[in-house]
Amino acid sequence: MDKKYGVYICTGCGIGDTLDMEDLVDVPEEEGLNCTTHPFLCSKEGVELIQKDIDDGKVNAMVIGACSRRVNFDVFNFDGCIIERANLREGVVWPHSRETYPALTEDQKDDEEHFDQIQMKAEDYIKMGMIRLEKVTLPEPFKTESFSKKILVMGGGVTGMSAAVDAAKAGYEVTIVEKTDSLGGYAAKLRSQMPVEAPFETLQAPVVDALIAEVEANTNIDVRTNCEVARIAGQPGEFTVTIKTPGEKIPFDVPFPLPEEELVDENGKELDADAAHEKYLAYNEGKEDILQMDPDGELYGAVVLAAGWRPDVIEGEAYEHLALDNPDVVTNDEFEMIAAKGKIVRPSDGKEAKSVVFIQSPGKDEDDSDFEYTGSVTSQVALKQARYVTEDYADGKAYVVYQHMRTPGLQEYFYKSMQQEDGIFMTKGAVTEVAAQGDGLAVTATNTLLGENLALKADMVVVAGGMVPVTKDDPIVNLAYRQGPGFRDNDIFGQYADSNYICFPYETQRTGIYAAGAIRRAMSIEESMEDATGAALKAIQCVESANRGMAVHPRSGDMTYPDFFFQRCTQCKRCTVECPFGALDDDERGTPKANPTRCRRCGTCMGACPERIISFADYTIDSIGSQVKAIGVPSEDDYDEPPLRFLCLICENDAFPALDMVGMNRVDYSPDVRFIPVRCLGSVNTIWIKDALAQGIDGVILIGCKHGDDYQCHFVKGSELAEIRVKKIGDALSSLALEEERVAFAEVAIDEYDKLPNIINDFVEEVDALGPNPFKGF
Amino acid sequence: MSTKYLAQPDLGFIAELRGLGGETLKKCYQCATCSVACPISPEDSPFPRKEMIAASWGLKDKLIGNGDIWLCHQCGDCTDLCPRGAAPGDVLSAVRSAAITEYATPKVLAKAVNDPKKLPFLIGIPGAWFALLAIITVFFGDTMTKIFNVLFGDALGGRLHWSHAHEGAEHVIAHADFVSTWFVDMTFIPTATFAAVVFALALKRLIADMHANAVLEGKTDKTSVDYKALAQSVVNILPTVFKHEKFNECETNKDRATPHMMVLFSFIGLFIVTAVCGTMLYLGNYPGPYPQLNPIKWLANIAGVALVIGSGMMIKNRLANKDQLTAYKDWFILGVVFALGLTGMLTEMTRLAHMEYVTYFFYWLHLISIFLLFAFLPFSKMAHLVYRLVAMAYADYGNRK
Repeated sequence: MDKKYGVYICTGCGIGDTLDMEDLVDVPEEEGLNCTTHPFLCSKEGVELIQKDIDDGKVNAMVIGACSRRVNFDVFNFDGCIIERANLREGVVWPHSRETYPALTEDQKDDEEHFDQIQMKAEDYIKMGMIRLEKVTLPEPFKTESFSKKILVMGGGVTGMSAAVDAAKAGYEVTIVEKTDSLGGYAAKLRSQMPVEAPFETLQAPVVDALIAEVEANTNIDVRTNCEVARIAGQPGEFTVTIKTPGEKIPFDVPFPLPEEELVDENGKELDADAAHEKYLAYNEGKEDILQMDPDGELYGAVVLAAGWRPDVIEGEAYEHLALDNPDVVTNDEFEMIAAKGKIVRPSDGKEAKSVVFIQSPGKDEDDSDFEYTGSVTSQVALKQARYVTEDYADGKAYVVYQHMRTPGLQEYFYKSMQQEDGIFMTKGAVTEVAAQGDGLAVTATNTLLGENLALKADMVVVAGGMVPVTKDDPIVNLAYRQGPGFRDNDIFGQYADSNYICFPYETQRTGIYAAGAIRRAMSIEESMEDATGAALKAIQCVESANRGMAVHPRSGDMTYPDFFFQRCTQCKRCTVECPFGALDDDERGTPKANPTRCRRCGTCMGACPERIISFADYTIDSIGSQVKAIGVPSEDDYDEPPLRFLCLICENDAFPALDMVGMNRVDYSPDVRFIPVRCLGSVNTIWIKDALAQGIDGVILIGCKHGDDYQCHFVKGSELAEIRVKKIGDALSSLALEEERVAFAEVAIDEYDKLPNIINDFVEEVDALGPNPFKGF
Repeated sequence: MSTKYLAQPDLGFIAELRGLGGETLKKCYQCATCSVACPISPEDSPFPRKEMIAASWGLKDKLIGNGDIWLCHQCGDCTDLCPRGAAPGDVLSAVRSAAITEYATPKVLAKAVNDPKKLPFLIGIPGAWFALLAIITVFFGDTMTKIFNVLFGDALGGRLHWSHAHEGAEHVIAHADFVSTWFVDMTFIPTATFAAVVFALALKRLIADMHANAVLEGKTDKTSVDYKALAQSVVNILPTVFKHEKFNECETNKDRATPHMMVLFSFIGLFIVTAVCGTMLYLGNYPGPYPQLNPIKWLANIAGVALVIGSGMMIKNRLANKDQLTAYKDWFILGVVFALGLTGMLTEMTRLAHMEYVTYFFYWLHLISIFLLFAFLPFSKMAHLVYRLVAMAYADYGNRK
């Protein structure tokens, strides 16, 4: 692309009033770039002005010095052009006012004492924008070699069937893989289910039969019972799937990476790459390598993971007070199976169980948590099963002792209706003991709505066991990925197949695999059916995005992908290992293979690469590095007391929007900080930090999303990796005789804009106390 | 920590409460808005939140002997503010009704009072009884006089006579000529005594239960019941009762306080009238009807009018209030009270209008009404007169805060 540069600066929204426009326009003009100002650039006239220049062939790469790139992105959208938005409004004139930083008088302009911090910031942003235009290119969409729009649904339960029906109705071919010999899953084993339709007041027969009929009638759906997925290889749009009979051993069973303990020799020394590979091959003997595609495999575009759950096994010290070894103390799952057979009878002696206590939370009085892997569904199941007792016996009594009674949405009607049953008794309370007493059981609870120390007599006790996602025990998806066949960071997500609690439902940690139903969260049939629709739509979005070479999520529509300069690759595997989404595979020598449609374009590989050979078309080591170098660093040659200069690499997902909010709220912070938005802190290559410090910038701060318990990172591992990398850089700094404090790391949530000015100012103050960077002026 | 409480829900009790106007009892989800809304609930273990869960669990033992159910004046603030439509006021009312039945002996009478199907019998039996007495009085006056003279003859110096009609005043209509005053008193004195005995037996159990419940739920600092101190507490709370202080703290249907006060005071007035008339008759040998200028007649007329107006307003309020449930037990007692007042006034008015047989008819109705009130006092809602008084006194005695 033959770039033709131009700069457009808007003088509206206070930009022209605050900044010296003549000086600002000089910046591009000195570089020989045409610069146009307009009082209302986002107006029809303003946009037409730019469009005319484009149509006249005058410009195809432009800096638009106006508002933040987070607004008017649809207005300043010109096909085939590279656009850089210099954030003069939210980033410069809104947070920093002339009341705080008065404009210079003509005399002051040329002395070596005064400087205009706001103007300096604006000019830097224009310069940084101009250099980026030079360094980036327009992305070319990636095309897979082969392509399929078929959707694979793993699991033939209510969720899987619903997803299949939804996807099929939308015109997509679907295959359901079900490992048992029939469709239906757990729902087919129930006596009754919670209501899924108005008035949401009574138990209803399971919807499963109707759903099976619907699946079987749909010609777009291919059902494979007695089947499981041996491996899924390749990438979205061209997944090569091997399907086998459960238990069968075949060459295309997925290989497993070596467990940690196998990676060392008998002396505890880490194995070298060749030895490790040999061991890996031995470990997976008889299995084809992940890069070997099954010639008989079937091609799919995306996968809906609806493999469901298994009942939790409740055991251990924490539950000793519940007398779980008593045959009449059962889990909700066991109770359901009893109920499905007929009238509720005791397992111990077959006697009619007319008095049943349902225990929702095991915590004695120490904490109020429910059993693991539970949710609103377990509350509702208790209500349902309590109803079984009164359904079976006119004089039946069902007690529900809960810490939380969760009946969201319209299920509130179900709760209300069950409450109306004369024989159902509910109380909040902490169960302290279950013990055999006489012919039956005695349950004691404290802190109940009926006062302290409540005792109940029961024929049976039912504990509300949770729904364990099957991904806890097994990879299930059997991905032929170098990082392993399953999801890697399940611990963060409580073993559920998830990648972000808050923002991205259905997204697993693997692009193209969309989880729905109880594998994602303990869910009722009603919720699972709705969830299935969501996952089916995500799978469709994935197929249609991959088809056009676009990222699915969260950078939807992004057409860039990681590009490797392989000549310089040292096969260190860091990119393969650190990718949060397992997008990269490597061959036996360790050379990475990109798999662009698996990629979420976070740039974590780019941040990881010590050779700096990974780039995206519009986001490269050099483009950001050059922006850093474009920052003006005034020295004592310029001013008697030059202002310090700081760089902030800010995550575009949460921290950058928060910074814009600081500007919108007109809250001031140090104007000496230059912000460069990054795709994710994981994409920050430490070279940028080193370069910044080497050119005399006094401090560098990285601001990203939260990680740890309060996980909000859009790319799962980005801010966590960045923090580790920042810690490691400390050693390198001390070898340069620079203080570690010059590099900092901070986290904010998107709603914590109010904290940002302090984070920035505190850092500036801390560095200020250290004094200027000694490399300044070199 | 308090001792273990074994909850034994009673499905029959739940059904009973539903039948007594507590239909909504299972709707409560224990948010305690009611306890916060209640203007008269004490700060420690406030009602009616805990009574609501006890009711929805069918815990008869926690409710029947619970003094708090009587502290409630059913003002309706809780019912009004309940987000679930559980109507705690109505549920407590049903619980009180069940408690009245529980403490009353014989229970068959209590059940009859709450059963609309039994109403014809409840009215018919006293109706027939008074009709019989009227027949004897009217047609067998001479026989009765003879029998009377044989039996009592010269007792009390010959001051006792069968007939209480004014001598030499045949033109005056006297109801004693219709149903003999002797007959009336021979009916009502045993009836009242019966009611008093029923109450006494009930109170003996109620006070013990109330105390046990208060101790269990930590609502009192007393460890035993001192009846003398409890009696003192009755005196202590009388001003509160007379002034309807608790009633007046209520917001939702404040207008109930005035009619209730009218009815209470008219009963007190009529009680005084009855006592004075009895004294005048038996000690002063001065039988009625008394002239309108007699001060006792003034009191009687004012009380009678107040009773009609007061109970009439209560009926009107009940009819107008769609939020509050009015069960059969409520209509029964309101009907009796209103009928009592109305027939009393009509009897007097028709007597003054010289409508002899009409006035006798009303008098007959009036006697039936009085009988219904007296005989069923411990079995009907009217029993609250005694129970609430005692419960309030116990709360005073037990330092319920």
